[in-house]
Amino acid sequence: MSETRQAYQEEMERIEASALGGLDMVVESLDRAMMALAGRDARLAALVIADDDRIDGRYLEVHQSILTLIAREAPVATDLRLAAALLHTIRHVERMGDQCVNICKLVPLLGHAPPVVDEIAERIQEMGRLARVQTEGAKRCFTTRSVELAEVVAAEDAVINRLNRDIFQLALEAGTDFDTREWATCMMLVARCLERVGDNAVDICEQAAFVVTGLFRELSDASRPVSLRSGDEG
Amino acid sequence: MTADPNSVSQESITVTTPDANPPLPDSATSSAPAPTVQTEAPSDPTTTTGRAVTLSGLHAYYGTQHAVKGVDLAFSANKVTAIIGPSGCGKSTMVRCINRMHEEIPGARAEGHVLLDDQDVYAPGLDVVSVRRAIGMVFQKPNPFPTMSIFDNVAAGLRLTGSRGTPLKERVERSLVGAGLWDEVKDRLHSPGAGLSGGQQQRLCIARTIAVEPDVILMDEPCSALDPIATLRVEELISELKSRYTIVIVTHNMQQAGRVADSTAFMLNGELVEFGPTSQIFTNPTDERTEQYVSGRFG
Repeated sequence: MSETRQAYQEEMERIEASALGGLDMVVESLDRAMMALAGRDARLAALVIADDDRIDGRYLEVHQSILTLIAREAPVATDLRLAAALLHTIRHVERMGDQCVNICKLVPLLGHAPPVVDEIAERIQEMGRLARVQTEGAKRCFTTRSVELAEVVAAEDAVINRLNRDIFQLALEAGTDFDTREWATCMMLVARCLERVGDNAVDICEQAAFVVTGLFRELSDASRPVSLRSGDEG
Repeated sequence: MTADPNSVSQESITVTTPDANPPLPDSATSSAPAPTVQTEAPSDPTTTTGRAVTLSGLHAYYGTQHAVKGVDLAFSANKVTAIIGPSGCGKSTMVRCINRMHEEIPGARAEGHVLLDDQDVYAPGLDVVSVRRAIGMVFQKPNPFPTMSIFDNVAAGLRLTGSRGTPLKERVERSLVGAGLWDEVKDRLHSPGAGLSGGQQQRLCIARTIAVEPDVILMDEPCSALDPIATLRVEELISELKSRYTIVIVTHNMQQAGRVADSTAFMLNGELVEFGPTSQIFTNPTDERTEQYVSGRFG
């Protein structure tokens, strides 16, 4: 028996590298978005928004490549699972880019010297750091086909979810000053975006685990009811 | 081997069909007839159902060459089972053992058991013709009788085995309808069968096979000589036929197995490597060799 389908194998590897390379672009956008947020840098925020076209372009390119591969090569078994998983993954990558855009759209609304609640600002930066770690973890998990790493990234998501709920609570308690409440509300929206980035990272890990096991299993279940005041799940 | 409790008992091995021709008087036969495979053969073939086939410890040889090595496999009634595997893996040989075609090749022999429900088709003294009437076969290349008309091609099997009850014309028409060919040939039934297109010829062969109302239809790469449209027509026909027959199809076409088969068996070097639901074989096979083969990485 001779090994066959070398060109097909190379094309599949190219598509996977391209899809997972989208996560590097997300990390870059996330870093810039957090920097723009911390420095209230509207120009940098505008750059991130404009740059999202590159992530959207990557989505279209990977999507088309996978459709062509399915049409021409009819992958089955692990190859089919990988093709399906990459279709999901590139969609998540595109949405993660959109969350960075959403954060950057809030930056011009903050003004030059908003009233900052330190407890909220610290948590936002921590969420940004964790979202970055999760995004990198998702890429490593997919590249190494590691179910164990998928579970680690899912466990990290519990922390970012808890911080999101903390910020919600702190925003509610932000006092009666209009400007402070406006800033805190914006931060609540930023926290929501970062929490979604973490969710998308976990979704990608679920796809990686699916490629390995052939069974789809949710690593975190957002549908489970969770108190906004306590608990680590959700 | 687990016997189907609904199947006939091993003792009742002679034909007991409600519309069978009356038995010849004793004076007409010099000795007792060979036992035959029992067939159900109700008066309306649209109500017939297939029967399960079970292979148990099946070995097949060509002289000293061991082509099928101890296969245990159960083909469910009224399901389509695909047999896949690289050339020379023994899949066609295995299928030809089911209706005892294998033993027709000089030097070839088979060992083990092939059960039709719970009747062993290798039981000593069993009438081989009755086995092949109960288990029909469609071959790779359409092989209508070249000198016969379309009508006679379908009627040939009935004339050989004896048309039971229903008039011949009606049986031929019903078979051609069942094979999805009637509308295309009803106005030229007495034209030569060899004048049909390849796809039509193959459906004619299917009509000839179902005319004798088998329980099981074996198909050995039935579409390998057909164009894509003719292939899809035969595949649609297979899906329609499975409500009345148990179908076993040998194919090299992975997509065909994926499209038509409820279950798929993968063979390699005469051994059964993996058998399971088709969706599982093509999305998440358990054996690495199956994975490699269905992904086209060897073969």
